Formats: sequence, structure tokens, C-alpha cells
Amino acid sequence: MTEERTSPAPAWASLPGELIMWVLIVSELAVFGAGLLIFLIIRLGDPEGFAASQDQLHRVSAAINTAVLVTSGWFAARAARDAEHGRTGPTRVNLGLAGLLGIVFLVLKGWEYADAAANGLGFEAHTFFTFYWLLTGFHAAHVIFGVGILALVAIRARADHVEAGAQFWHMVDLVWVILFPIIYLLR
Amino acid sequence: MNDPLTRAWASLIGLSAISAVIAQLLPGFDALALKLASVAILLIGWAKARVILSTYLGLDAVPPIRRGFGVVLGFFMAAALALYLLA
Repeated sequence: MTEERTSPAPAWASLPGELIMWVLIVSELAVFGAGLLIFLIIRLGDPEGFAASQDQLHRVSAAINTAVLVTSGWFAARAARDAEHGRTGPTRVNLGLAGLLGIVFLVLKGWEYADAAANGLGFEAHTFFTFYWLLTGFHAAHVIFGVGILALVAIRARADHVEAGAQFWHMVDLVWVILFPIIYLLR
Repeated sequence: MNDPLTRAWASLIGLSAISAVIAQLLPGFDALALKLASVAILLIGWAKARVILSTYLGLDAVPPIRRGFGVVLGFFMAAALALYLLA
């Protein structure tokens, strides 16, 4: 008689969605986290200059964008849940609303960028703006990519695809709620 | 509001509103109040990140992984806070 011994499944085996999405999420968080810490380290050398530069940003539009993005994340999470229950119509509606709010985010961000550029606050205006353009621009690129992913997964609305798309979107959301206070608000 | 997703969304909106109000008040603060308000804003950002990880990304279902993310996020926020306060 053989005795079968079953070892408990590792915790990562219980992660929602595909493991590769979590690898991507962790990698992206590490890149943005490193960028933000470098930003804070460089700020140590010129806190007044960073504060004066920050004063030229549109904090209100960025705060509105925070509400827009977390609401978009709510729609994406609802889409994933609907897809899991086989509700194709509501899945597509929620994905559409999530993507639409992603576009609203980009429009507001585009207006903010246009205003900064018009005021001569380009990449080389100050070290603050070098990081501002790099970090928020890289994030905006992820939003553009995320809107595309949400549109793609809405076509067939398969539960696993929708979950992966929503996870990418939540990562974009997560990066913003950390980036926003550090770049726009810390004085 | 029994739906956990809706509760998470409401808490994210509420926390965002609090940090927006604090941010609007910042110009009138003296140096100490400014530091305290900025620390509060960072902590609110941390709380929002935890809500997204736990509920939107579903880590509530995997407590060991949620704790792992929480520890790493906590270290990052502690480093950010230290660098902010050093300036």
C-alpha cells in the first residue's frame, strides 16, 4: 500500500488570474517605484526649486483625474465579475465605461501637457519637469495601452481575457494613486 | 452598500476627496502644518493603494500574498516618507 502525501499548494497558485499578469504588475510597480524614489532623492538637493515647479502644475485637474481613474477601475472590476458569471452584455458595457473614463483621463492629461508646453515648462525647464514628463508620460502611455486592451478584451468578452485586461487597468490605477501625491502634492 | 467593489470605490473617492481638500489648504499652512499635511497625503495614497490591491486586484482572497504586497508597499512608502522629511 502506498501512502500519498499531498503538500499544500503554494500561495501564488491561488492568485486571481494568470501568474504572468502578476509578474508584469510587480515589474511595472518596481519601475515606477524606483523612478519616484529617485525623484525624491534628487528633490533633496533643491526642495525650493521642486516646490516652485510643482506650483505650476494643475493640481485640480490631476485630482479630478484621480477620481476618473478609480471610477474607471471600479467599472473594470465589475466587468471582470460580470464576465466570470457569463454576463456578456454587462461585461461589455462596463468595459466600455472603463475605457471611456480612460479617454477622459487622457484628454485632461493632454490639456495639462499642452498648457505646460505653452508655458515653456518642457523636459529641460527644471529637473522637476524632467521627472514630471518622464513619469507621468510613461504612465499616460500605459493608460493609452490599457484603453486598447480593454477594447480588445471586450470583443469576445471571455472571462480570462477580461480579468487580465482589468488587472492591467488596476495596475495603471495603482501606479497613479502613488504617483499623484508624490509628484503633485508633496510640499 | 453591500457590494465590496462599490464599497472599495466609495472609499477611494472619499480618500481622494480628503487629500484634494488638504492639498487646497496647503498654501495657507505654516512649515510644521505643511509637513504634517504632506505626511497625511502620503498616508492617504498608501491607504488607496491597499484598497486597490485588496479589492480591485482581488488579493483579499489570498491573504499571504496580500501581506507580502502590503509589506513591500509599506517599505516603499516609509522610504518615500523618510526622503520627503529629510528635505
